[in-house]
Amino acid sequence: MKTKAKKKELTIFIILLVISAIITINNPSFLTLENLFDMAKSNTVLMIMSMGMLLVILSGGIDVSAASMIAAVTVVVGNFLMGVSGNIFLAFGLGACTGVLLGLLNGALIVRFKIPPIVVTLGTMSMIIGMVLYLTNGVWITGIPASFISFGRLTLGGGERKGIPIQILFMLAIIALTWWILRFTIWGRGVYAIGGNRNSAERLGFNVSKITLFIYAYEGFLIGIAGVVHTTIMQQVDPNAFIGFELQVIAAVVLGGASVLGGYGSVLGTVIGVALFSVINNGLILMRIPTFWQKIVLGLVILVSVSADVIQKRIQENKTIKVDIEEA
Amino acid sequence: MGTENFISLSHVSKTFPGVKALQDVSFDIHKGEIHALIGENGAGKSTLIKILSGVYQSDPGAEISILGKKYDHITPLEALKAGIVVIYQDFSFFPNLSVAENIAISRDLEKGKNIIDWDSMRRLSAAALERLGVSIDVNTPMGELSIAKQQLVAVARALVYDAKLIIMDEPTSSLSKGEVELLFRVMKTLRDSGISILFISHKLDELFAVSDRFTILRDGMYIGTFGDDDLDNDKLISLMVGRSIEYKVYDKRKTTEVLLKVEHLSKRGNFKDISFELHRGEILGITGLVGAGRTEVLQAIFGITDYDEGRIELEGVELKHRSPEQAVHAGFGYIPENRLQEGLVLRKSIEDNIVVTVLDQVCGPLGLRRTDKMGALVSQWMDRLSIKPNLPEMPAANLSGGNQQRVVLAKWLAKQPKVLFVDEPTNGIDVKAKSEIHKILRDLAEEGMGIILVSSELPEILAIADRVIVMRHGKITAQFDGATVSQEDIMSKAVVSFKI
Repeated sequence: MKTKAKKKELTIFIILLVISAIITINNPSFLTLENLFDMAKSNTVLMIMSMGMLLVILSGGIDVSAASMIAAVTVVVGNFLMGVSGNIFLAFGLGACTGVLLGLLNGALIVRFKIPPIVVTLGTMSMIIGMVLYLTNGVWITGIPASFISFGRLTLGGGERKGIPIQILFMLAIIALTWWILRFTIWGRGVYAIGGNRNSAERLGFNVSKITLFIYAYEGFLIGIAGVVHTTIMQQVDPNAFIGFELQVIAAVVLGGASVLGGYGSVLGTVIGVALFSVINNGLILMRIPTFWQKIVLGLVILVSVSADVIQKRIQENKTIKVDIEEA
Repeated sequence: MGTENFISLSHVSKTFPGVKALQDVSFDIHKGEIHALIGENGAGKSTLIKILSGVYQSDPGAEISILGKKYDHITPLEALKAGIVVIYQDFSFFPNLSVAENIAISRDLEKGKNIIDWDSMRRLSAAALERLGVSIDVNTPMGELSIAKQQLVAVARALVYDAKLIIMDEPTSSLSKGEVELLFRVMKTLRDSGISILFISHKLDELFAVSDRFTILRDGMYIGTFGDDDLDNDKLISLMVGRSIEYKVYDKRKTTEVLLKVEHLSKRGNFKDISFELHRGEILGITGLVGAGRTEVLQAIFGITDYDEGRIELEGVELKHRSPEQAVHAGFGYIPENRLQEGLVLRKSIEDNIVVTVLDQVCGPLGLRRTDKMGALVSQWMDRLSIKPNLPEMPAANLSGGNQQRVVLAKWLAKQPKVLFVDEPTNGIDVKAKSEIHKILRDLAEEGMGIILVSSELPEILAIADRVIVMRHGKITAQFDGATVSQEDIMSKAVVSFKI
């Protein structure tokens, strides 16, 4: 049975294919294994963060502090690599802890004071950015230890240029983990339940507070991982690299069919959404279209998909039959 | 059908401050029977449901026995353990989750499981649906099912809870004829497997189609429990109506000058072919059962919702307004049913609430409010409607229900509308406040306003309406002269007759 949700994913997938075809016709170098791997690698961070944002949006929330959080993670990890140790595992552990702590801060404020997520994350966003700039003075961290850099160049089979970059493996693992959580754990189903009908979720016995904390902590965890992965790609830390990045993350999730009203969305949809987003960006570059168009297209895409969602819901409500008219 | 009792109530009463919602109700529900609970709005049906499900505690002195075990009141947990499950009109579902989850996820939650076992959840829910004899794909998201199927899923969920008594509150209100028949088949299947059903509905024909016994409430009092053979149309109506509340009955007036004329107004799925006239200086009562489409008609005339076809004329001029703002401009006022939700800004003061419809009159050239004009206007209406306490700065939230209703009235009267719609104006306020509202409405009519009063309370309609329109299932079924009509006349036109 085809459900509406699956139809939505299919629609985006078809759009993805059409756009890819158009770009390939314009510039055949788009559809090469090398370009595809490159594109996937450079959008790993977007994909990982979108997985976290998916949980937030599914629960009916939003997180605009995501970009500032990853900036903080990269700065913390960068300083650690420079000053303490170049150990990969410690770097990932530290990144994840930083992310989880910041995520828990968001979650705790939302749960404890019942402030809407947009307000909480606007506040924490500003605070975190301020801290990052205070700590770094906006100065780049360069000269990351060689062991760390060579880790970032590892590939699965085929040597440095041809194999699957290690970052893509991280990405795949996190997609699989998120899918498993959402599909098979009571926590994941709780995320959907809260987004679908918050009051019923509470009455049925879902611990809404705990699940909310989990959502933001998990998002923070993924941001932590994404921060370290980002550093393995860039091999330096730019405290300003992520300004405005939260919009791209939210856009990719929404583009993937998630409803900003909560409740609807899937891992598969988000994967296609991120892919579509990357293809549009990459394609516009390959087609030599000025970069400001990317932002205009991005904005349009957000507006169209969000309003389609809301309008559809309103039409449905208006159509509801209230009285069963008696036919004589 | 056995005659063993599942639950037996004796001397159940429930008092709220100022109101006796239930008085000394005693009756039994047998194992494996469909038991109809009948009564007008405010007869105490919902209170009784809430006592059975443990939401309310009955007053001391009651004795409730479930399968021989005695309680003086039931807690929500006891109700759940005894297998009493209520299916409310809004089924409190997760539209985005699958049927299987909606039916069975609570099992996993109760057991404190962390990992979902989809197979057992699907099996459990499919088995529950199979017991009902219906086929619904358990993987379908709930929101994609029709309301009828959602209802069946709600019943299936009750079975998973191991329900012994399923209370269905107006289950057929949004179903088509075919769907109602399916639901009835399911109800009979459940009954035959030993489950009791308490069935609440306004549709008497449907009650008679499935119920084994009937319990009638009126004004919170127990009138009696009857078998199928002991009741007929007339007897039932005479038992239901005749509420004891006494209002002052005003002299009715004969008016002729047409103020508002509505012709063939229709909206798919809401009402059909509504035609009537409202005269200057009269109160036109529109009554009928809840869900007959009365409010929907008012909302369409007022421009809150669209209508498909028809014609509305005010003082001989056709109106084409499509928004409440235009309706207000044309001379309409509308006091909605739920005054707290729709009629008042509770955090704002009394005066702020009153002047909101007439800001153009109390504002100076820069759009700032002029306190002198505002004060005069506010005190005029607060005096006239005797809103107490006489403190214009007090937040509306701090007022009693009756006074809040009066503030809403004042808000609309300040605008001096030609036509005033009032929807269930006295719902939830005490008898004295009700009588005062009646007097105000009568006075306004005497002064020449045309008033449409929607009310389910027949004594109220009889007390103040000059003419009465009865609606049923989205259509007008009768018009009566308010001076001579009786409650029985109205009720026989409001319900579908069930026995010929």
